[in-house]
Amino acid sequence: MVSAPGTPRRRIATCLHLLLALGAGCAPAARPAAEVAAGHARYFGDVTPPLDDVLRFNLGAEPEIYDPSLAAGQTDGRVCRILFEGLTHEDARTLEPRPGQAYRWETSPDGLTYTFHLRPGLCWSDGTPLTADDFRWSWLRVLKPENAARYAGLLSPIRNAEAYNHGETADSNAVGIAAPDDSTLVVTLAQPTAYFLYLTQFYTYVPVPRQAIARHGNRWTMPGTIVSNGAFTLRYWRQNNRFEFARNPRYWDAANVRLQGIVGYTIDDLNTSANLYKAGVIDWVPSGYLPSQAIPYLREYRDFRHGNYQGVYFYSINVKRPPFDNVWVRRALNLAIDRDAIANGLLKRSREPWGNMTPSGYPGYEHPPGLRYDPVRARECLAKAGYPGGKGFRKISIQFNTSEDHRRIAEAIQAMWKNVLHIQVELSNQEWGSFMQGLTGLQYDIARRSWLGDYLDPNTFLACWITGDGNNRSGWSNRRYDGLIRQAAREIDPVLRFAILREAEALLLDEGPTIPVYHYSTNELVKPYVHGIYQNPLDVHPLNYVWIDRDWRNHEAEAPHALAAPGAEDAASGGPAAAGGAGRAPSAAAARAH
Amino acid sequence: MVTFLLRRVLLMVPTLWAIATLAFFLVRGAPGGPFQSEKEIPAAARAQLMHKYGLDQPLHVQYLRFLTGVARLDFGPSYKFPSRQVREIIAEALPVSLELAGWALLIAVLAGVPIGIFAAVRQNTSADYAAMGVALAGVSVPNFVLGPTLVLGVRLGPAELAELIACARGERDCA
Repeated sequence: MVSAPGTPRRRIATCLHLLLALGAGCAPAARPAAEVAAGHARYFGDVTPPLDDVLRFNLGAEPEIYDPSLAAGQTDGRVCRILFEGLTHEDARTLEPRPGQAYRWETSPDGLTYTFHLRPGLCWSDGTPLTADDFRWSWLRVLKPENAARYAGLLSPIRNAEAYNHGETADSNAVGIAAPDDSTLVVTLAQPTAYFLYLTQFYTYVPVPRQAIARHGNRWTMPGTIVSNGAFTLRYWRQNNRFEFARNPRYWDAANVRLQGIVGYTIDDLNTSANLYKAGVIDWVPSGYLPSQAIPYLREYRDFRHGNYQGVYFYSINVKRPPFDNVWVRRALNLAIDRDAIANGLLKRSREPWGNMTPSGYPGYEHPPGLRYDPVRARECLAKAGYPGGKGFRKISIQFNTSEDHRRIAEAIQAMWKNVLHIQVELSNQEWGSFMQGLTGLQYDIARRSWLGDYLDPNTFLACWITGDGNNRSGWSNRRYDGLIRQAAREIDPVLRFAILREAEALLLDEGPTIPVYHYSTNELVKPYVHGIYQNPLDVHPLNYVWIDRDWRNHEAEAPHALAAPGAEDAASGGPAAAGGAGRAPSAAAARAH
Repeated sequence: MVTFLLRRVLLMVPTLWAIATLAFFLVRGAPGGPFQSEKEIPAAARAQLMHKYGLDQPLHVQYLRFLTGVARLDFGPSYKFPSRQVREIIAEALPVSLELAGWALLIAVLAGVPIGIFAAVRQNTSADYAAMGVALAGVSVPNFVLGPTLVLGVRLGPAELAELIACARGERDCA
């Protein structure tokens, strides 16, 4: 869902940041002494809570566009999620769909029709009533070909959405979105989609204010003209500096939003990011914005969080080029890789070694056995392919885009293949544009790639390997695999569906057009006085119910994490059962936890 | 003097034209395009994007449009930040750069020129060596070391630094 984690980051360091960075580095000795004296565990830097109810964090690189219909980047999404809310809204802890703008919904027995009922009295931040037709208009806006929305494909489970998006039909009434009255939205799907309620909380599915768009065109997202429907509105923005969000008093659950505001600094320099946190300027560094060499050191601190992230780093093999058209060659290359040495040795445990193409974290999905390091079998496979001891095997190349980590991993793999298979490998470092052109045009032997999931389902990792998919990029084509993926898409029974996907993944691993290397991890820092931010495999963080605990030191002694669970009891009930009329239905417990 | 200045200004026109032309064709000659990401953009969406930015037109049409735009200081919409014009982004940052450059120039002229004259007049004396030593140090020390050192050393003690942090945290109103 994101441009590659390895894309070059522009380095900025404004004078203020630099000053703070230096200032923070000047007096490291004083802090631990004070904390030890107070009898507290070690935290990284200043732990004095701010005096106001404002969360300050590093939003990351400057978002390219935060019009939710058109946004696609990771930091674009962060801004969209603060400002807008869809029919459903993710639970901060589990990411399961909770009632958002819709307070209940029904699904037809065949799984094809969803009827959403909007909360009574919903309105936009400018006071305009928000109706079901706003959703219909916004979804059609995503699909209109002239808008060129990059994530339009996420709406393709809806009947005729794809045809409309590709310009095959111009009739918007043919698309399965209907608003029979102001508070009812009926969505008809092309086929049952088990994860549809996860999609409706994604920012591509949120409503956008047509009144503001009509007036301001593509400049409607500027502060002053932007209108939103989420828990916060945009108050201030300065490019490459910061976003300031203010609490939206018109949000349906505003009574339970405890933050008065959020400040998101747009800092893409990793050291600046860590230093601002240490100095206490920011309260949260989301994953991806800590220098990797600092992570082994940061592990020692209590405010550091490490967990699995739904992403896989892998090498893709161009099966159209000999000798890679031979499956035994691909198997040999796969088996000769010591993932453990890369993730735990080279990357110092900041990643998990991983031999599967789907990441962990899908309840109910049982992975097929992953690929393992087996040098003896690897040599056997290469011999079976006709290259005993690597004899006659041509020199092959690994392509990667410029990044220190990509290079180090490629060097390690080059050495492994040389030592185990006795084959020659050259490394080819390319600038992003050339790299991508080589990848899409199948002008490569072996290329570094990564895949990050869009929604919590293994399908997001497996569907792209069907024949001819724009993201396949390996030339691999397998009719049985294509059939399995299609069969899974039609299957309503979740257990059977996962079984089919498991079979597909096993086939993909056995055929080896890909070489999984490691499982992405989240590494983040959260001040102990911030509650309601949880580690999760999508690295998605709804901030509606976050709060600043100025009395955290006393709570810390009682139960460090039990306290951070506003709405946890509701998590179990959730869903349609939480019908409760206007206002305070599902997450009313946000205030109760204290 | 006036004719000299006029000639220099007029000479800038072909120079800028050559730079603009070179930049235009170099960017188009390089592999890749503005709409590439690790996740594939659907072909239909890509075609629409290309159309929106006029990239589907013949190269000479694009070039003429670019040149006429540049002549009017209109650099078109940003590829990276689709809701913004390039002109706006420049207009936002340019005043700050100009202010900084202005002060730097002022210091260079007011301090640098007299010191240079002084050193030249007393060539090979200790005064000359001192002046050249300072200049050489200024050139050799990287900016990222020199800048903060000057700022911290000249202007900021720990108290001011603490105030800066408080400002950034919003604990104090520093507008």
